[in-house]
Amino acid sequence: MLSIDKYAYSNRILTWRPQIKGLIWLLGIILAFQPILWIKGVLIIVAVGHTLYAAHLSVHQYLKWFYAILPFILLSIIGIVFTMSANKQIIYYPIRLFGYYFGVSKTMLPVGLHLGVQVFAAVVCTYWFALTTPFQQIIITLKSCHLPNLMIEEIMLMYRFIFIFIEAFEQIYRAQKLRFGYKNFRLSLHSSAILAKMLFEQVMVNYEHMVHALDAKLYDGEFKV
Amino acid sequence: MPMIELKHLNFSYEKNKPILKDVSLNLGEPGEDVVGIIGPNGSGKSTLFLNLVGMLKPTSGKIVVDGQPLKYHKKALNQLRQKIGIVFQNSDQQIFYSIVKDDIAFALHNLGLPEDEIKNRVDRVLEELDIVSLKNKPIQYLSGGQKKRIAIAGILVLRSEWLLLDEPTAGLDPDGTKRMISLIKQLIGRGQKIIISSHDMDFMYEVCDHFYILRDGQIVKSGRKQDVFLDDQLLESSKLTQPWLVRLHDKLHLPLYNTAAELFADQHLAAEIANLKKDKE
Repeated sequence: MLSIDKYAYSNRILTWRPQIKGLIWLLGIILAFQPILWIKGVLIIVAVGHTLYAAHLSVHQYLKWFYAILPFILLSIIGIVFTMSANKQIIYYPIRLFGYYFGVSKTMLPVGLHLGVQVFAAVVCTYWFALTTPFQQIIITLKSCHLPNLMIEEIMLMYRFIFIFIEAFEQIYRAQKLRFGYKNFRLSLHSSAILAKMLFEQVMVNYEHMVHALDAKLYDGEFKV
Repeated sequence: MPMIELKHLNFSYEKNKPILKDVSLNLGEPGEDVVGIIGPNGSGKSTLFLNLVGMLKPTSGKIVVDGQPLKYHKKALNQLRQKIGIVFQNSDQQIFYSIVKDDIAFALHNLGLPEDEIKNRVDRVLEELDIVSLKNKPIQYLSGGQKKRIAIAGILVLRSEWLLLDEPTAGLDPDGTKRMISLIKQLIGRGQKIIISSHDMDFMYEVCDHFYILRDGQIVKSGRKQDVFLDDQLLESSKLTQPWLVRLHDKLHLPLYNTAAELFADQHLAAEIANLKKDKE
């Protein structure tokens, strides 16, 4: 079973008003994007510390949450700091490639690192919000922001079905792994392709069943939120 | 008398591959509060249900509800589905909200009922199904049996005359099945008419009072307990088995009991068995 939002339902600040939590999150994001670096550092420490305390999380569990997003952050920073130029002077550790120099740009390195800290601070704030606010409260927050119903409806349905989707994914993946479907790279590629195909087929079948269920419940094109 | 009549109904998705063949049923006769449609996998039970609620349209034949032939425009279908509620087999496919009480209220919001009426009905149903404690729980942390109850609650709030249950015990543990039996008995007690499709023979034997046996899209037998379950050969050829209480009667010539409780409460039988044991010793 998934525990994505288990913490959100059993944390120390569960009873805080969701709007307040929303505001604190917004404040955090603003602090993350303001230009002074040391404020960002303080923000990260405070946010991480409070998340660990409020959600009863161990450091190890918390770090696991970064597995999914770390590749994205690293890739974007790498994309920013690495450069290619005819001028050797502007690059740290230049490597000659096709008549050009390739390496870490002297001007872009601080920009990239600054951006990294900024993103990290924003992510940490968002984790704080996600780990302390149950979904119901998030919906209340969105509603008090007067976001369009259609959008809230969409978010609500995505949240509901993401669990079903991930469960289906896990079941197929487990069954494949059990029969050595991921033994080597070639097999892994093949198995992932089948996995994607099966998920797609299941989505189509489930869609049909859901249309029937919606009909039975007299669905009229709108979900009340 | 509320009635659903099926007259020579045929249904197929593709030409020359009929799923339902010349099915004629009269549902809602007096004394038949819980009708069981029994058939093995792929015999057409679910397709029959989808036809009953107008989600599939018969290729030929007629469905008549309370004297009116089924019409397939939106308004008529809406009325039909307030009269006939259906709960499908897979609970996850019928629960759309993440919080229990929101999901149960869904159909009522679609009907446009006033808020306090909705609240009343939801609270009532939660009590009836003994799931008040789940009211504010997120769906994804519930067990299969609990989800099944939520799915049923979401239809029960409509207070439809008829309740169609498609394989209601599939995937339930013994306790879940026991609860399902007592729920169905409780619903009949307050006048609910129920149609159940299943191949869980012992369960069907215990809860239904009229049966139709469906084989390859055809009704091969119908009647009450003693009519349909004694023909072991027919059941066998329909890929079904006798319920264990019927087997005791058929093979060991014990009386035909309606429920296990009836069997174990039979003092006379208990005395005879005690005698047999004594003789042996």
